[in-house]
Amino acid sequence: MLQQISNFFSKNRNFIPLMSTAVLALAAYGIGAYFFVGMRNPQVFFNLFRNSSFLLISGIGMTFVILTGGIDLSVSGVVALTTVASAVLLREGWNPWSVILLMLAMGMTLGAIMGSFIVYLKVQPFIATLAGMWFARGMCFFISDNVVAIDDHIFQILGKTKILIPGLTELAALQGNPAPYISIPVIVAFTLLIVVIYVAHYTRFGRTVYAIGGNEGRNEQSARLMGLPVNRTKMLVYTFNGFCSALAGLSFSLFVASGHGLYASGFELDVIASVVIGGTMLSGGSGYVFGTFFGVLVLAVTQALIQFIGTLSSWWTKIVIGILTLIFIGVQTILANRKSGRQGTQTTQELLVVRRKRQRLALGLGTIVVLAVVAILSASQFGWFSFAETPAAAQCVIKPFREEEAASLIKDGAVIVYNRTAGPLCVDELFAIYPDGRVLGNDGVNKVEKQVDPAEVEQNLAKIVGEYKWFTGAIYGEYLTPCRQCFAHYVSISYEGQEKIVSQVDGTASMPLGYTLTLAVIRSMLPEINPAP
Amino acid sequence: MSESDQDILVMEGISKTFPGVQALDNVSLTLKRGEILCLVGENGAGKSTLMKVLTGVDRPDSGRIILDGKEIHTRSPQHAQSLGISTVYQEINLCPNLTVAENILLGHEPHKMGRIDWVKMNDLAGETLQGLLGVDIDVTKLLGSYTVAIQQMVAIARALDIASARILILDEPTSSLDVHETEQLFKVMKKLKNEGVGIIFITHFIGQVYENSDRITVLRNGKLVGTYDTASITRVELIGKMIGRSLAELDEMTKIKLESSKHIRREALLQARELGLAGSIRPFNLELHAGEVVGLAGLLGSGRTETASILFGVEKPDTGTIVFDGDVVQDYSPLGSITRGVALCPEDRKAAGIVDDLTVRENIILAMQASKGWFKYLSLREQYEIAEKYIKLLNIATPSADQPVKNLSGGNQQKVILARWLATNPQVLILDEPTRGIDVGTKAEIQKLVLSLAEEGKACVFISSELEEVLRTSHRIVVLREREKVAEFVGEVDENTIIHAIAGSEA
Amino acid sequence: MKKSAIPSFAWKNITESRLFFPLVALSLILLFDFIFIPGFFAIENREGNLHGSLIDIFRNGSTVMLLAIGMTLVIATGGVDLSVGATMAIAASMAGILMNPSALKNEVFFVTDPYYTFQPLWVVIVAALIVALICGLWNVVLVAYMRIQPMVATLILMISGRGIAQLITNGLRVQITYRPYAFLGQGWIVLPFSLYIVAIVLTITWIMTRKTAIGMFIESVGINFRSSFFSGIDEKKIKLLVYTFCGFCAGIAGLVASSNVRTSDANNIGLTTELDAILAVVIGGTSMSGGRFSLLASIVGALVMQAITQSMYAIGVPAFALQAIKAVVVIFVILLFSEQVRGFARGLTAQKKEV
Repeated sequence: MLQQISNFFSKNRNFIPLMSTAVLALAAYGIGAYFFVGMRNPQVFFNLFRNSSFLLISGIGMTFVILTGGIDLSVSGVVALTTVASAVLLREGWNPWSVILLMLAMGMTLGAIMGSFIVYLKVQPFIATLAGMWFARGMCFFISDNVVAIDDHIFQILGKTKILIPGLTELAALQGNPAPYISIPVIVAFTLLIVVIYVAHYTRFGRTVYAIGGNEGRNEQSARLMGLPVNRTKMLVYTFNGFCSALAGLSFSLFVASGHGLYASGFELDVIASVVIGGTMLSGGSGYVFGTFFGVLVLAVTQALIQFIGTLSSWWTKIVIGILTLIFIGVQTILANRKSGRQGTQTTQELLVVRRKRQRLALGLGTIVVLAVVAILSASQFGWFSFAETPAAAQCVIKPFREEEAASLIKDGAVIVYNRTAGPLCVDELFAIYPDGRVLGNDGVNKVEKQVDPAEVEQNLAKIVGEYKWFTGAIYGEYLTPCRQCFAHYVSISYEGQEKIVSQVDGTASMPLGYTLTLAVIRSMLPEINPAP
Repeated sequence: MSESDQDILVMEGISKTFPGVQALDNVSLTLKRGEILCLVGENGAGKSTLMKVLTGVDRPDSGRIILDGKEIHTRSPQHAQSLGISTVYQEINLCPNLTVAENILLGHEPHKMGRIDWVKMNDLAGETLQGLLGVDIDVTKLLGSYTVAIQQMVAIARALDIASARILILDEPTSSLDVHETEQLFKVMKKLKNEGVGIIFITHFIGQVYENSDRITVLRNGKLVGTYDTASITRVELIGKMIGRSLAELDEMTKIKLESSKHIRREALLQARELGLAGSIRPFNLELHAGEVVGLAGLLGSGRTETASILFGVEKPDTGTIVFDGDVVQDYSPLGSITRGVALCPEDRKAAGIVDDLTVRENIILAMQASKGWFKYLSLREQYEIAEKYIKLLNIATPSADQPVKNLSGGNQQKVILARWLATNPQVLILDEPTRGIDVGTKAEIQKLVLSLAEEGKACVFISSELEEVLRTSHRIVVLREREKVAEFVGEVDENTIIHAIAGSEA
Repeated sequence: MKKSAIPSFAWKNITESRLFFPLVALSLILLFDFIFIPGFFAIENREGNLHGSLIDIFRNGSTVMLLAIGMTLVIATGGVDLSVGATMAIAASMAGILMNPSALKNEVFFVTDPYYTFQPLWVVIVAALIVALICGLWNVVLVAYMRIQPMVATLILMISGRGIAQLITNGLRVQITYRPYAFLGQGWIVLPFSLYIVAIVLTITWIMTRKTAIGMFIESVGINFRSSFFSGIDEKKIKLLVYTFCGFCAGIAGLVASSNVRTSDANNIGLTTELDAILAVVIGGTSMSGGRFSLLASIVGALVMQAITQSMYAIGVPAFALQAIKAVVVIFVILLFSEQVRGFARGLTAQKKEV
């Protein structure tokens, strides 16, 4: 029995990484569905695709790049650039379809430029695409400093259209659930996937892509000698990836309905991780585009699981993805070494020895990990961090948010209430701004009052609600690192019957741009109680 | 003018200079349709450069190339291929991660309705292999899963399939093949010859030259010595043309050997007892004595390199022990061996020998420094002294000790490696194919050196595929067959006996 | 061929070709500054300490210089370490939390005494460096023992390392208020203190690689590890040293960086610095496939990167545009090195290079 299994594996060795990824993705989802009722809703499953369509699109292009043994770090920059450029063009009144075409052309051009550096000037892909990313991101800010919203009609349609799934609509109706749907970008992604799989396996171009990568770079030389158009193929691959990045950028801008140069930070790592987890080796030459599909699925499921668990912060996603990538790479490497051991200078005996060594060293690795984790955990538990000795003179205690007081001020008619606590002197300042221009403030001890021009109040309020989109999901959807020893801001805005409080935001660089601008505008109207050190 | 009608290729007056070196000086070569032309010469003679000029890798400084009556200027290997000039190299220049069929046909694969017709492609590939070469394998498996010999067949199949090659260049194709595979290759060559393909066959095995070629072109030091009909030149004459020296030198070697056998000690310096590694070499016994040269003879794959590896500690044995100077060896590793005084000059000069970007000096002192460890760094002055000593001793042709080793010719690189091991002052020196791919002149030098090392009191192991060499250089010959030691001969023994022992048939 | 005497001329050749291009690049940038930026070279003396734009280049570039030192050795063995930024974050988190562990409990208080620290400074530094060493160890086990490609193996720590840094500080950004610690990045003894740190690390590394056989072994392993293996060089031990050392350098860099910004922000410390470090090494002439290296050239490379940044700021180029300009300048410098351009220059003497 074991013999049969191992025989099967030796014949179809190439499929193992792909199959294991698929199994992992589906199993993870299955486990999630077991534990969390919410995940059993089919819409959650389809949302996986809706939320990661841009990742899939980019992953498809990246797969080709990696298959040739190269890498493309510029994808996140191109995505961001696409979102900003399209947002601005739409704002200027361009035809949305021309914008789409122009963006795709732009992506292809950038890809072609990087490709020519890599192919003709022989710059390392790592470096060339890194420069490309910097360049693209830099360009974003040339175009626009702020978040630019997209409210073009066509884009809205493209982004929000729900595509119902035949067959499941009736089923859902029976259960009394809303019909599950996917979005247009998902269709685009799937179409692209099918087309690319076809190209990879049924065209000369696709086979040349495979021929170029792998074998530690020697394949490229061989492919050239075989007369294959290596240079042209590589150029096309990078151009195509530029196209995919732009397409992913468009997808993304449909998703968030805005554009900004800081978007998609770290995106390239997610893309590379999906490709690797999907079974493609970073050295190139082997792997399947279909595998990337499963790799993306794994990432999406991981994120979903962590969201559902709720208590874990999103940085756990990064750790999990890292571990998964490690496991897959480990598997790939072992399989690859076995394959290459058949020929070349290694004998079969060396392979057994290598395997034994590897087991021993996996053990060593595991030990290090365990030790490190134990060290950190114990350090945090044991006396090392006990607090008995902290001198009271060295600290001040941070006051909590004066929630009820703020609520009553809003009831009283204040339009903006701002509570600033913590900071180096543990301040506790509460301000209220009224539509007639009054600004009242106190820090529990002192009181201040200031009068500003009511027109100014109205103008700023309009800005906060209109331009900075206070009442939309743009504020507050961003991941931040709470500081708790920095200033904590609590802002309540009341406008035409709508009320929204965003509380306990601390830190600076991780705030969405709209929020930062709101704060700035509010504070420009405030008197000072305790000047910051 | 029927002579020139028959000429499919004429290279006239080709000259090529690289910085500091005149690689080719007014060389001419003609190749007829349906003939096998052997291109011979020592290393540095210009064979590879001439072929590079022909296939478009390099452009000649002067001269012209006429293909089938028309003058051509090859721009690149691809271009040459499209003109009908195909090359099969010693290193397989195919893609092991693609299937056999793809490797044969990619670039000219059959299409159906705009997409690759896999079924037809596999069929065609199978036909080519079967029909042209008589090889029957599963063309849907990855190339990398086959042996080097099969891969070479695939390379030839590709060369033939593409643009119906008019000229096939085979550059040292048999170095990784065994006897049976070489036979098959020669059959294929003859078949192609009969179909009118012109073949340029580069080899340094004289036997093969006589077995296959119609004519021989001899190069020496970048110049053309002459082109001869194989039937009308003897081996002796041929070698004379190649090395331009008398064979008296070669004869002298036998004298040296007979004299030095007096220096062989009785007690064994190194004893391998039932030493073996499953899948690599069956348990064997071997004794090495100071002052003696032991030759390992056998075919490719018989286990000679594996024996060397295991003696040196590159591989750890799973049975048996090595007793060195009375102590049982515990530490199996190259470093352990070096510290003990065992040295191995490995078979693969490029991959396991030279560190090409480092200088001659650094390459020479490398192993010695490794045995001293990280912190006992040899002073620069010491390093230069050692390097100079060996450059002189081995007559290494290099402008200075600071020349990066990659700039040296193959033979001199081999000498640098040898110097490295000699510098570690070993008591046991194992040489695995030290003369492979080296000109005859340097070969003789190295063989003489081995014998003189034995005379100094070292125990040497000499491995070579050329039986003549082994016979000339060894006091004792161990024969390996199929990963097992099968025979041992001491003293004077003739080639036939050894060959029979290798083949395994009765005398 | 000369006898016995070390041909000193040969040494100059090597140094010259390695340092030549980065120095040329640096001088070009400084020349540009000299012409276009008034007062760029002004150095003023405040209370015995030297200040000025030029000094700032060195000070702000110390993080990248430290990283470049460790990175040079890793790249010389044919590998690369993408995780240095994450290691910086981890070390910084460790340091931060040890000085003010209140973040771990859920009551929060704010430290107002600039001389308060929970653990003495030496414990903080040692612990942070140990953690950084462990990161390096993790990398080397993956690369040398499990034989995973370095780019891939270090990518893993790069992705998950910041998550680990968050783990250490319980998800918070820890403010660093301890004055002596801040001295690391912000202190001055005639010259910025971080410069001395760089100088010490550079000296130690130079001694380690050039006064022992280690440097030659590193180069040998990078050029051809199999040949090195046959010559008795243990490639695994070399890589063990090199990756761990790189982690160590990243740890020091993390300390300096976090003392500069006075927080241990797991998200932002060291962000993209790994890429700056790799570029510094490449500008310094070390090939990414391994082999010959020069520490000094990498330092100059780091200075080139920093000088570009500084000059752009001085002209008034806004921060965001800087990235784009860095990209262009870097490509330009890389091209200076590229085989094509050099080959073209050589081609003027009518020698065709080998394909």
